[in-house]
Amino acid sequence: MISVEGLTKRYGAFTAVDDVSFVAQPGRVTGFLGPNGAGKTTTMRIMVGLTPETQGRVTIGGHLYRDIPNPGLHVGVLLDASAQHAGRTGREILTLGATTMGLPSSRVDEMLELVSLSPAESRRRLRNYSLGMRQRLGIAHALLGDPSVLILDEPANGLDPAGIRWMRGLLRGYAERGGTVLLSSHLLHEVEQIADEMILIGRGKIVAQGDKKSLLDHGQAASSLVTSLDNQKLAAALSAKQYSVAVAGDGLRVGAEPVEVGRTALEQGIVLSDLRSGAAGLEDLFLELTSDTQREGHPAAATQQGAIA
Amino acid sequence: MSTTQQTPGPVPTLDISQTAPVPFSRLVRVEWRKMLDTRGGLWLMIATAILLVITVGLVLLVVALNDDPIEIGAAGFSQILTIPLSLLLPVFPILSVTSEWGQRTGLVTFTLEPNRVRVLLAKVASVVLLAMATIVVALVLGALGNVVAAAMDGTDVVWDLDLRTLVLTIVLQLLYFLMAFGIGTVFLSSPASIAVFYVVALLLPLLVYSTLYAIFDWAQDIIPWIDLQYAMGPLLDPDDDATTMDGLRVVVTVLIWIVTPLVIGTRRVLASEPK
Repeated sequence: MISVEGLTKRYGAFTAVDDVSFVAQPGRVTGFLGPNGAGKTTTMRIMVGLTPETQGRVTIGGHLYRDIPNPGLHVGVLLDASAQHAGRTGREILTLGATTMGLPSSRVDEMLELVSLSPAESRRRLRNYSLGMRQRLGIAHALLGDPSVLILDEPANGLDPAGIRWMRGLLRGYAERGGTVLLSSHLLHEVEQIADEMILIGRGKIVAQGDKKSLLDHGQAASSLVTSLDNQKLAAALSAKQYSVAVAGDGLRVGAEPVEVGRTALEQGIVLSDLRSGAAGLEDLFLELTSDTQREGHPAAATQQGAIA
Repeated sequence: MSTTQQTPGPVPTLDISQTAPVPFSRLVRVEWRKMLDTRGGLWLMIATAILLVITVGLVLLVVALNDDPIEIGAAGFSQILTIPLSLLLPVFPILSVTSEWGQRTGLVTFTLEPNRVRVLLAKVASVVLLAMATIVVALVLGALGNVVAAAMDGTDVVWDLDLRTLVLTIVLQLLYFLMAFGIGTVFLSSPASIAVFYVVALLLPLLVYSTLYAIFDWAQDIIPWIDLQYAMGPLLDPDDDATTMDGLRVVVTVLIWIVTPLVIGTRRVLASEPK
């Protein structure tokens, strides 16, 4: 539904977004992941016409954003939950949005209820809102027009764990009803649990994209972590099958798929107490892929990965 | 770095054929509401109302304390009441623009209506409506004051406000509103715009131009070309036959203080990236 094609944004000599292309499909949550300053916000701002692109284009459902009439009814946008008049009440902010879109004021109450802002809280002014409350209000604002596309920049920022879980459920349900969700984050675990599809961006460039599984499979050697009642015997049996084996804590790190380790243990009649994939997690992958774009170099991820492979 | 390519299927389209654009009247209503729905806006309004009432009260007090009848008349009242109107109200057109940047509401405003020219026009319309509404209130108050003053002096009520003066007074008031609006679009910052507007519209004419005008001949030649109030003076005076030159002066000052800022400012608004 959202199609980004060869998008580039330059500010003088600085390239904020460098030839970025991806598609966010309906019925799926697409996570836009990258360290701070990687170009996520700029890309999203170009999507909704707040920033002009240098090259390329973004279409939403086949249209340029500026060509969509009454865009609030089609595309819900939350770019910065604090970018609201500090002197307006939460209810007033939603009322202004609803009025612009031509919605009845009952919609404001529905949205307040949806994001669990109480009537008393809705009458408070935004300057007295916590970041989490602003975030809820921003999500309510984005959902006002019952849009089929959601563009959310760092929506989990400032939410407490319960709030993050709530938002996850909300967006998942939204996507399952056929909506398109694009959300950005610099925190992997936020995106990992909710996104069907991930776009990894670093220094303006896309470094990887795909679903979680294909990202993890991508270029990784098989690896398992295993603990058994007889590690020595297991290690010998695995070595005999030409798998690399190394001691790791109480158990072993083996250069094989968990299924192979389990089969070997069965053959040898060894009782396993723990067996899991030892492949590097998404976080390692994320840090590795964006390592040259991180502010603090993160050699740990790369070396750990190198040591086991 | 190789990337895992997804296979992008046909991108579904969004059906926008049934959606009407946001009507202009609704944009005006929203902009009107935005001027008054904050504590700042509310207090500016209250303060202006208080100023208006105090001004009428002061005039009536002078009438009451004076033994000889003073004929203020409708014209006198209308002249006096433009002062409280022009003191605080121009802050509204300024904030209407600058708060989109200062309070960063532009992010939402320009996302809900990507056509920024329409947003600007809706703001101008709501600002003009506000100016007209306050002028009506002032006229009603002035008329009341006029009746009361005449009653206190035991004289006949004098309705000496001719239509031309009334219209021109309203036009001048609107021109100052547009000037404030234009300055707001140029600076996109509340403090800078407010400072510049009050220096140009209030401090310079009141403190600097008046002195220069009284002392120097050249100032009498120049100031009406660069100050709106001085340029409008001959037109506002019912006893003065305004010349073509007077009209030309108005055109020049309008070009300097209203058209130029609006042109520059509109370009700024269109090019700006609200953060």
